[in-house]
Amino acid sequence: MNRRHFLKMSAATAAAMAVTATGDVGGGNLFRPATARAAIGPETGSMGAKEITSVCEMCFWRCPIVGKVKDGKLIKIEGNPKSPVNGTRVCARGNSGVQLVYDPDRVKTPLKRVGARGEGKWAKISWDEALGEIAHNMQQVKKKYGPHALAYFDHGASAEFMRGIFKAMGTENFTSEPAFYQCVGPAALAYLNTVGYVTTGTRQYNDMGHAKAMLLVASHIGENVHVSHVREFIQGMSNGAKLIVVDPRFSAPANKAHIYLPIRPGTDTALMLAWINYVIRNNLYDKKFVANNCEGFDQLKTEVKGYSMEWAAGICDLKIEDMKAAILELAKAAPNVNIHPGRHATWYGKGDVGRHQSYAILTALFGAVGVPGGIYFPTPVKLGKAECPEPEEVETAEADPSMKEDSEYPFSSIFGTTTRDIINAALTGKPYPVKLLGVNGVNIIQTLPNPYDTMKAIKNLDFIFCEEMMAGETALWSDIILPDSVYLERYDGLYAYDGLTPYLTVRQPVVKPMFDVKSPYWIAQNLAKKLGIKGYTCKDEEEFLNEELKGAGLTLAKLNSRGGLVTYPGNPYRDPKKLKVGTESGKIQLSVEEFDDEDLDAIPKFEPTPAPPKGYTRLVYGRAPMHTFSRTMNNLWLHNEMPENKLWLNDKVAARLSIKNDEEIILENQDGKRSNPIKVLVTPGIRPDTVFMYHGFGSKSKHLSRAYGKGAADGFLMPTVVQAPFIGAASQRTNFVRIIKDGKTLNIPELVAVPNEIPRYESKIA
Amino acid sequence: MNQYAMIIDLDRCVGCHACSIACRAEWQIPVKEGYRRNWVRRLGPAQTSRGLSYTFYPGLCNHCDHPACVDACPADPVPVTFKDVKTGKTVDMEVAATWKDPFNGTVQIDKNRCLGCGACADACPYGARYVNVELADDDSEGKADKCTFCMPRVGKGLQPACVQTCIADARIFGLRDDPKSEVAAYLKKGAKRLESKNVKIGPNVYYFGHKKDLELLDKLETPQEMPEANSRRIMLAKMLKPTLGKVAQLGIAGIAATTLIGSEDKEE
Repeated sequence: MNRRHFLKMSAATAAAMAVTATGDVGGGNLFRPATARAAIGPETGSMGAKEITSVCEMCFWRCPIVGKVKDGKLIKIEGNPKSPVNGTRVCARGNSGVQLVYDPDRVKTPLKRVGARGEGKWAKISWDEALGEIAHNMQQVKKKYGPHALAYFDHGASAEFMRGIFKAMGTENFTSEPAFYQCVGPAALAYLNTVGYVTTGTRQYNDMGHAKAMLLVASHIGENVHVSHVREFIQGMSNGAKLIVVDPRFSAPANKAHIYLPIRPGTDTALMLAWINYVIRNNLYDKKFVANNCEGFDQLKTEVKGYSMEWAAGICDLKIEDMKAAILELAKAAPNVNIHPGRHATWYGKGDVGRHQSYAILTALFGAVGVPGGIYFPTPVKLGKAECPEPEEVETAEADPSMKEDSEYPFSSIFGTTTRDIINAALTGKPYPVKLLGVNGVNIIQTLPNPYDTMKAIKNLDFIFCEEMMAGETALWSDIILPDSVYLERYDGLYAYDGLTPYLTVRQPVVKPMFDVKSPYWIAQNLAKKLGIKGYTCKDEEEFLNEELKGAGLTLAKLNSRGGLVTYPGNPYRDPKKLKVGTESGKIQLSVEEFDDEDLDAIPKFEPTPAPPKGYTRLVYGRAPMHTFSRTMNNLWLHNEMPENKLWLNDKVAARLSIKNDEEIILENQDGKRSNPIKVLVTPGIRPDTVFMYHGFGSKSKHLSRAYGKGAADGFLMPTVVQAPFIGAASQRTNFVRIIKDGKTLNIPELVAVPNEIPRYESKIA
Repeated sequence: MNQYAMIIDLDRCVGCHACSIACRAEWQIPVKEGYRRNWVRRLGPAQTSRGLSYTFYPGLCNHCDHPACVDACPADPVPVTFKDVKTGKTVDMEVAATWKDPFNGTVQIDKNRCLGCGACADACPYGARYVNVELADDDSEGKADKCTFCMPRVGKGLQPACVQTCIADARIFGLRDDPKSEVAAYLKKGAKRLESKNVKIGPNVYYFGHKKDLELLDKLETPQEMPEANSRRIMLAKMLKPTLGKVAQLGIAGIAATTLIGSEDKEE
């Protein structure tokens, strides 16, 4: 600034001068503009905005929210104050929904591929053309290969309407959610068969807020954020709960733990079985509860007797006194103890169901079922059922052979078709060819392990389309892309929360849709018309929401007049003397006969997962609190908080390799697959035999201008998968990496000896 | 004076960054290097004398007892009457474009008189201020900006935006000197300021938590030296002085009007 500039300024300032503040000790300190002319007015922030209640979908947890709109523009999102789970609070991602609406990289119109698959070159087309292309290809593929050649990968609220289309086309592959088969599936199956209900699925019924002790096994609540979970966890902690964290990495909750057990990866079940044995041998279990409510105790006792604490200490690389102290803390708190199932369960393949069974067994031994602090029972909210969001019933020909019913994974068909089997069928044509994929709300190339197979499978397809807000990797590979509306621009179904404090709320548009996007209901309705599928008869979402609300004695208008949310009394706990669970016998199954019938272990056994080959370390991954899957990395505000991931590398290993904090390296896996460059976080907070990165980074799509190429993608380092025998979930922690720095390959020194009992992974290349 | 203060309870904090984004949304802070009123830094995991720590530094303006930024402002002082709404008490003060409120202890900026020179931002040992050059006009190089402790919201009976959104209730806002406040209770429990031998200006954001976490926070984030005054800023300030006198005189009428508007509003 020069003097002339400044003189010019002083004249202007004279007119627009001065502000004073009036101190308000009680809570009001008002700023006033001097005059209106050219003055910067007092800040009003989001105050005075129009407020519309809705439901978040920055992740699938779906917290009740309020959208704040000024001059037709969404400026802020807050929690719905009426919500019993989050109140006025929303997480970093919930706050950043604003920037999803206004992201310039959004898919703005229907697009048709003009380059090769994977190239990401498209031409704009009309909705009529786009839906016409999809309908034509669905019909052609069905005619040529039969209805089962059609398959659907879905996730989230927006995907539900289109599921009906696939069902109506007669395919058995209308649901194959990666969110189930590559996430909570093994855990859900274990709990369903042990305690008779899905304690951990989309929802989780863990009463951390009233627990006197909690166990987290690699679950990193706080980095993995679902607001009500975090609140219950913190409530429990501030009430004095003892926290035990088992994790090869020193996570955010590990920092809050009373006992932290830095376990050797892949040995969690050894620890659990040794603990179960210890609890039984030392009479630390709830004898009355077990006698009244459990079956299979004697078998369990016999089966686990070989698993000693001394043995487990060696396998798990833990101090026996810490292991003992931990289990004693948990036992002391019984029955108000929370053995938390975590969420993402597809780690090592075969043992994943058994690991979760062992959590459920320990829960039962402590009598922590249906009591404060343990696992609790959901309270369903009574709703009506509108017929109109679905197509009319259609008769479908059974597949022969069926990918579902004849699956080599006996428990996969309870939920749908195994995700990985669809990829395999597209790759091999067995048991029958899959030739058309619909993908909705999930970026399968980043989400599924072995993206190389996924891309190869897509090459074999006759047709693939997706519904997306942002053009991630899956969009690059799609023939038609339908622009999805952001959750803040549309209605969806009702949201009935069946947790501790049940409530009913509804998603509704906060702002008008940007660009040429349509709602998922409109898309399904109009695609159905093109296909000649009857159904989707409601005029619009408001009509079916009103139908569904009838069962609750409400209308949309009535619900809105009550703050967009109504609560109900919860019924989470049970009298242990009158406990009856959802298994066939009504008892908790410590030994699962249904597993035995399929030649699987009725009681979990420890089978070690192979250790890293010499020169490599195990790659694990997890969640960053400001990102969801691979879908938020391009968000202006979230990108600004965490633009890239880093590789957590043990400090002693880093010293041996002369790698400094923040240096950039490349990872190379056991098959020679290489990552994007990634910076290193040198830390004592990870074991020497493990490296860690936050998931979802390293986007390969240039259409995501902020996220493209930032950080590394874990999935692209995971070509080796083991399909687990229960539901065919593909393992995601069975790949190993070494480091390339300045073009030089660095082998990872083995600072922790591997016991003989654990075999070593045999690399094809190393 | 009854000083507003904030407690950050690191035992509750999970490092989710909701606070810094809610602040950005509430006050529409553009995304640009260094532009923020509120931030979270992820610290560790690192070794401390009491074991491993993986904690967070949620930071914002400290509304210090002796703010270095206020003294650094080269804008010529103008007389301002501050009024305590509750008691009706008034205080006359001469203030530059940034000042410490005599009643609630918050540090505020008058963007209309801010020259955007950045002297205040340089003077803050906590790096709590930045200059928003997007607000540059004929009169300035931009406008200094920082946390206001959300006074406009607090004035309407709301919590600061960062406190309202905190999913773990790790932020506690209130009156430091009111013995019944939750803030005072935390001070009794030993909540700490980020102060060092050479930086003792009385920050009013206090941190509570396990000793290992406070040790890491202190080691990595407590400023050890007061920033040296930037010679360019001093030169600029000197150059501006003579002209600013005129501004101050012209300003008086404006201030009277402002006070009047203020009291009218309150009667509504």
